[in-house]
Amino acid sequence: MLQYLIILLDETSTSFCHYEAPKKERKLISLDTLRQGIRFGMMENLMIQYVYPDYELPDEYKEVIESIDHSKIKPMAEDADVLVMNKIEAVQTDIPVVLRIGKQELFAHQKEVVAMLKGAPRLNVVLTDVETFTDEDFDAYKKVLAALSAEVEKLYVEGKSPQLNLLTDRMMLSQMNNCGAGDTSITLAPNGKFYVCPAFYYDDEADSIGDLEQGLDIKNKQLYKLSYAPICRHCDAWQCKRCIWLNRKTTLEVNTPSHEQCVVAHLERNASRELQHNIRKHGTFLPEHEEIKEIDYLDPFDVREDW
Amino acid sequence: MSDYTIREQSNTWQEGASKNITFIVTKDCQLACKYCYLVGKNAKERMPWSVAKEAIDYILGHEGDFREEAVIWDFIGGEPFLEIDLIDKICDYLKNEMFRRNHHWFNSYRFSFSTNGINYHEEKVQRYIEKNRNHLSIGVTIDGTELKHDLNRVYKHSERGSYKDVARNIPLWLQQFPNAATKVTISSADIPYIKESVLHLYSLGIHEVNINCVFEDVWNEGDDKLFEEQLMQLADGIIDGGYYTDYACSFFSEYLGKPLDIERENQNWCGAGKMLSIDAAGNFYPCTRFAAYSLRSKKPVIIGNIHDGIDKNKLRPFLTLDRTTQSPQECIDCEVASGCAWCQGENYDAADTNTIYQRATAICKMHKARVRANNYYWNKLYRKLELEGQREEFEKNKKKSNDVIC
Repeated sequence: MLQYLIILLDETSTSFCHYEAPKKERKLISLDTLRQGIRFGMMENLMIQYVYPDYELPDEYKEVIESIDHSKIKPMAEDADVLVMNKIEAVQTDIPVVLRIGKQELFAHQKEVVAMLKGAPRLNVVLTDVETFTDEDFDAYKKVLAALSAEVEKLYVEGKSPQLNLLTDRMMLSQMNNCGAGDTSITLAPNGKFYVCPAFYYDDEADSIGDLEQGLDIKNKQLYKLSYAPICRHCDAWQCKRCIWLNRKTTLEVNTPSHEQCVVAHLERNASRELQHNIRKHGTFLPEHEEIKEIDYLDPFDVREDW
Repeated sequence: MSDYTIREQSNTWQEGASKNITFIVTKDCQLACKYCYLVGKNAKERMPWSVAKEAIDYILGHEGDFREEAVIWDFIGGEPFLEIDLIDKICDYLKNEMFRRNHHWFNSYRFSFSTNGINYHEEKVQRYIEKNRNHLSIGVTIDGTELKHDLNRVYKHSERGSYKDVARNIPLWLQQFPNAATKVTISSADIPYIKESVLHLYSLGIHEVNINCVFEDVWNEGDDKLFEEQLMQLADGIIDGGYYTDYACSFFSEYLGKPLDIERENQNWCGAGKMLSIDAAGNFYPCTRFAAYSLRSKKPVIIGNIHDGIDKNKLRPFLTLDRTTQSPQECIDCEVASGCAWCQGENYDAADTNTIYQRATAICKMHKARVRANNYYWNKLYRKLELEGQREEFEKNKKKSNDVIC
């Protein structure tokens, strides 16, 4: 069921996920389209998430934006609900931070990532090159997660409650909590058309799922649901992004993740298991959540005969 | 005590244990069959030897990725025998390389052909058959009576029917492959000729007729009723003529038309993705139906090539697809679902989006008509066996299941 409407306020609105926002020329959504988008969101009972570019919007836009409950995803901290950063740097904020970095940057700067975690209530690390992971990268990622886990454990022991999506989300969840593109969320682009997510817009503007005039038209809508994802519906890496755009890019199907996405998610899941185990050595921790089970695979595809 | 049996469809060689690898050696054919799904046939795209060799080197060099016990090297066109010189060279190279590499497929392989039969008698083809006789499966397509066959299977320029040119080679083919089967395809215009065509093929000495309706959306109002009537007449012909002991027709199966359990009977019927096809450019496909010349409205699904190998991520959707995920609720709830086939390529070609997960249902009413006629066939046959005192023996001897994989 749809719950969120993401509105890209500009062609250069920041990326907050795996995709790159390639457009360089500023072009704001028209005020009329913005108003119609808000109206659509109100009529469909959708929570609106505005995605901002890296410049100040004109006052008339601010007025329209404020006409409805919403959250702001911005590349600068001022007035943001979510701050998006594209490189590792010091941060001190009381809002969640999305950190978009490549694998090598993460592997080389894990200490700085810990520092960022200490400077924000929540740090969402988004790896922008998941599809390029090799077996060596998997090994390196496993070590990085173990090192980050040790730091997170220390923070818990100190009485803090850090949130690092790669490690703590799985411990807090009771079921899959993934991307939701095309299922729980859709995107309105500056051209007045709807897309599965911003990445689908940037990939191919013709790949829309309706527009403000004719309404939504999501073909094969069921394929965005977990129950129609043969690999994912058997999986318990509940924190996995299950990126619909990466799925289509790598396997040609929106409901099928790549080997790389699965292994990365399972390395995180297994690191979360270790973290849960280690924190519980210090006392009661999230007693309402079951122990994360030990498993002997990193890609559910490899054990499909057992489903 | 007799060992009374009813002839059923024979199993494919090493069914379920073999890898099917298809060389699309040419996209040319002498014929322009009216129901042919190959919309992009042409005389230009002929597989060069260098591509075939590189494909073989890649496949045999990655033994760990091809763990199936056996292999069926399949040659398809267009008409494969137009490229008999290339095929002969490929097969020689395969045999040498499987031996040289001590590959686990050595002595566990078949060469397989589906041919229109027109140049079956030619010297080069016959020399090839003689050379590879013990490892060959050849199916010649003949659609039935001359009238029925020539309705669709016509030469591409003259539109002359090809029946006579195929029929003259049937005795030679059956002499070399006495247990061979033929494949018959039914589209809307063929329906009135089904009964006489199947019985005609029996009269030619073909003991197994594998026959199916096309998956494409070609059916007209009332076709299901006509189809049902034809199949019931065929049922009468087979049973009254006593053909059922020694001849098989795939239209009739005891396992057809039952509800399917959503958990236990959820497997994919189609073998796309478990197979591998290679075209003249050296591209790999999950099945020939995903190559450009087979598709009406979609881009080809290329899963790799002979230089870079197979992109295993692109195989994941094929290898995890199941019946319920691709089916509309009507199919999941269908009370006569068993035996209702699909073609993953046609599903993709007909889908609203670029997905293999949308089942095409154009064949639905034809399947239901087939089920009704099939019920009639078995009820009539059971009664006959009962009256002749052979029912018990039949039950004891029959196969336990009849799963068919494309």
